[in-house]
Amino acid sequence: MIILWILFIGSVVVLPGTAILAFGWALRHGEFEHLDKTALSIFDEDEPVGVMTDRFPDSDLHPEPQAMPPASPP
Amino acid sequence: MNYGPLLFLGFFLTVASSWCGLVLLPQIQFGRQQAVKIEETGEIYPQARSGLAEQGRQIYRANGCLYCHTQQVRAQNYGADIARNWGQRRTVSRDYLYDHPVMLGTMRTGPDLTNIGLRQSDTSWHLLHLYNPRITSPGSIMPPFRFLFAKRKAGERPSPDALKFPSGFAPASGYEIVPNAEARTLVQYLLSLKANAPLPETK
Amino acid sequence: MNAPAPSILNALSPSDIEDVAERRAVLAEIDASCRNTLLLLFGASLTWLLLGTVFALIASWKMHAPEFLADISWLTFGRVRPFHLNAMVFGFSTQAGIGVTLWLMCRLCRTPLLYGWIVDLAGLFWNLGVAVGLVGILAGHSTGLEWLEIPPYATPLLFVSYALIGMWGILTFRFRRERHLYVSQWYLLASLFWFPGIYSAAQILLIMQPVRGTVQAAVNWWFAHNVLGLWFTPIGLASIYYFIPKVIGKPVYNYSLSVLGFWSLALFYNWNGMHHLVGGPMPAWLITVSIVASVMMTIPVVTVGLNHHLTMWGNFKKLKDSPVLRFMVFGGMSYTVTSLHGVLLALRSVSEVTHFTHSTIAHAHQGMYAFFTMVMFGAMYYIIPRLLKVEWPSAHVIRVHFWCAAIGIMFYLVPLTLGGVLQGLAMNNPDVPFLDPHKYSVVTMTLPYLRMRSYSGFLLAIGHTAFAINFIWILARWVKTLRLPQLATPAPSL
Repeated sequence: MIILWILFIGSVVVLPGTAILAFGWALRHGEFEHLDKTALSIFDEDEPVGVMTDRFPDSDLHPEPQAMPPASPP
Repeated sequence: MNYGPLLFLGFFLTVASSWCGLVLLPQIQFGRQQAVKIEETGEIYPQARSGLAEQGRQIYRANGCLYCHTQQVRAQNYGADIARNWGQRRTVSRDYLYDHPVMLGTMRTGPDLTNIGLRQSDTSWHLLHLYNPRITSPGSIMPPFRFLFAKRKAGERPSPDALKFPSGFAPASGYEIVPNAEARTLVQYLLSLKANAPLPETK
Repeated sequence: MNAPAPSILNALSPSDIEDVAERRAVLAEIDASCRNTLLLLFGASLTWLLLGTVFALIASWKMHAPEFLADISWLTFGRVRPFHLNAMVFGFSTQAGIGVTLWLMCRLCRTPLLYGWIVDLAGLFWNLGVAVGLVGILAGHSTGLEWLEIPPYATPLLFVSYALIGMWGILTFRFRRERHLYVSQWYLLASLFWFPGIYSAAQILLIMQPVRGTVQAAVNWWFAHNVLGLWFTPIGLASIYYFIPKVIGKPVYNYSLSVLGFWSLALFYNWNGMHHLVGGPMPAWLITVSIVASVMMTIPVVTVGLNHHLTMWGNFKKLKDSPVLRFMVFGGMSYTVTSLHGVLLALRSVSEVTHFTHSTIAHAHQGMYAFFTMVMFGAMYYIIPRLLKVEWPSAHVIRVHFWCAAIGIMFYLVPLTLGGVLQGLAMNNPDVPFLDPHKYSVVTMTLPYLRMRSYSGFLLAIGHTAFAINFIWILARWVKTLRLPQLATPAPSL
C-alpha cells in the first residue's frame, strides 16, 4: 500500500512540480521577455503587418496585395 | 539561450505524469488481480474460457462486434442497465481478467452483452439471429452474418445442425443452411458471457 | 533563387537574418525545398480522405439499411467502421498534419527542408503501413482495440516511418536559423515528441506485453484521447496561431495568453482519457481524476478561444475575401465549442445519458472534422499555391468545397448530437423497449437521425471531391509551367 502513496505523490506532486519549477526558472531567466517581438516574428518586409496574404483566385483585387492601413501597435 | 532541452523536459514531464497517474497507478492497484473463490458456490471466478468459446471470441473481435455492443454493466441507479436486466450487478475489473483484448465497447447500437449467456441460452436462437437478425428481432439494424454459414443442397432428411427457419425466411426448397465452424464457436462465446458471480468487491 | 543554398556549416552559427534580399530568397527557397515532399504527403493524404469518405458512407448507410452490401465478409459493418476511422486518422489526418507541421517548422525556423529524402522515405513507409494495416482490418485481423486496430504486422512499418520523421524534426530544430520560438513551434515540437511516446506505450502495454483486466481499458483510452489532445489538437492550434495572423496581417492578440494556453493544455489534456469510461468497471478515483482534468481544460480552451477571437476582432469582413480564413475561423470556433461540449460530456450526470449513444460519435466528428480537418483544409489552401507558385484554378470550386464541408458537418453534428441525447434518455428509461418496430424504442428512434447523418455524408463527399478536383487541376497547371518556362506568366506575388 505504501508504494501506492509514493507513486501517487510522485505522479501528482513531484513531476508536475518539477515542471512548474522549470517554468519558474525560465521566467526568471528572461525566457518570456520580448514576447511581443516573437508575435511579430511571422511578419517581414515582404508580408508586413497590415497586409492580407490570402485571397480567392478570382478576387478582383489588384494582383499586388493592397497595403491596408497599418494595424495599431499590439 | 537554448530552449530545446527545457522544452523537451516540459513535454516529457507533462505526459509522464499522466502516464503515472492513469496507467502505472491502476496497474499497481488492480493490474495483478487474481481469480477468487466465491464463498456461496465454492467455485473459482473468473475461469478461462473453453477453447471453442475463446475461438469464438476471436470471431467477435475480427468482425467488430464491439462497435455496436458493450460488455459492461453500470451500477444500480446509474443508467438503467440493471433495470433492463442486462445484469444483476455492475461489472468490475476482475470480470475481465482473462479477456485479451478487453472489449468493453463504447456504443450501444445494440444491447449490452455482458450477461447474454444468461439472458438467451438457446443455441438455435443465436444461430438464427446471426444468420439474419430480423428473423428473431424484427426491426433490428444489426448486419446479417450469412457469410458465417453455408448454403447447401439438402439431402433426404435435413442435417442435424441445419437451421430451422420460421415460415417466410426459409431458403429455396431443396436447400439448407448450416453453420460454419466460425458461427458455432461465436455462439459458444456468446453463451459463455455471464458475469453474475457475487464477487467480494460487489457486495 | 539567387542566394547560395545554405550549408549546414552556415546554420551552425545561426543568427537572425537581417538582409532583406536574403530573407526573401530564403522564404522562396524554403517553399521550393518543401515542394516535392509536401506534394507527396498531401497527395497521399487526400487519397486516404477520399477512400475514407467512401467507407464512411458505406458504414453510415449500413446503420439504417443493414442489408446493404451485407454478404461480403470484408465489408461487414464491424470491419468497414474501423477501416474508416483508421484511414481518416492515420491515412488522411496524420499525413496532412505532418505535411503542415513540416512546412510550418521550416518557415518558422527559417530553414529549408533539409534531408527531404528522409521524409520521402518516411512517407513511403507510412503509406505502406497504413495500407497493409487497413487491408488487414478488412480481412478480419483487427486487434479489437479502438484507435489501435491496425494489426501488429503493419505497425513496424509505421514505427520506422515515424523514427525517420522524428529524426528529421530534431535535425531541423537543431539547425534552425530563427532563434525565437513562435507559439506554433512549441505545439508542433511537443506533438512530434508526444505522439511516438503514447503510441509506443500503447503498443507495448496492449499488444506486445498486454496488461490484464480493465487496466487495458485505461491504457486504451489514455492513448486514444491523447491522439486527439496531444497529436491533432496541437497541430490544429499551431496552424490557427500561424495562419489567422498571417492571413489578416495582424499579430496574435496577446502572446502571453498563448504561453498560458499551451502549458495548461500540456498539463491537463493528457489526464482526460478516463472520461471515456465513466460508469465503467474502473475504480472511481481514476474516473474522477479525468473528470476533474476535463473540467480544468476550460482554462486552455477559453484562453485559446479568446486569443483567436480577439485576434480576429474587427477583421471578420476579411472572411469574404480569403478561403483560408474561412476554414481557419470555422475550425477555431469549432475547437472552442467542441472542447466546452466535451467538458459537459465528462460530468457523471451528463455522461449517464450520452455515454454509449450517437452523441459521442457526433462529438468525435466535431473535433476531428469541424476542427482539425477544416483547419487542415485551410492550411493546404495556403501552402500548396506557394509550393507550386501557381494560383488555385477555380475559386468557384473552392467555394463549393467550403460550403459543402461547413453545411455538411453541421447537418451531421446537430441531428446526431440531439438524437444521441434522446437515445440516451430512452435507454435510461426501462419502460422504453430496446427494440420494438411498432413502438417508440431505443433502436427505432435513432433511425431518422442516422439517415440525416448519411445525407450529410454525401454533402461532405461532394466537398472532398471538389478539393480533389482543384488539387489535380493545380498540379496540371504547375506541370504546364514546368514545360514552358519562357512563356510562363510571372509568378503572382502570393
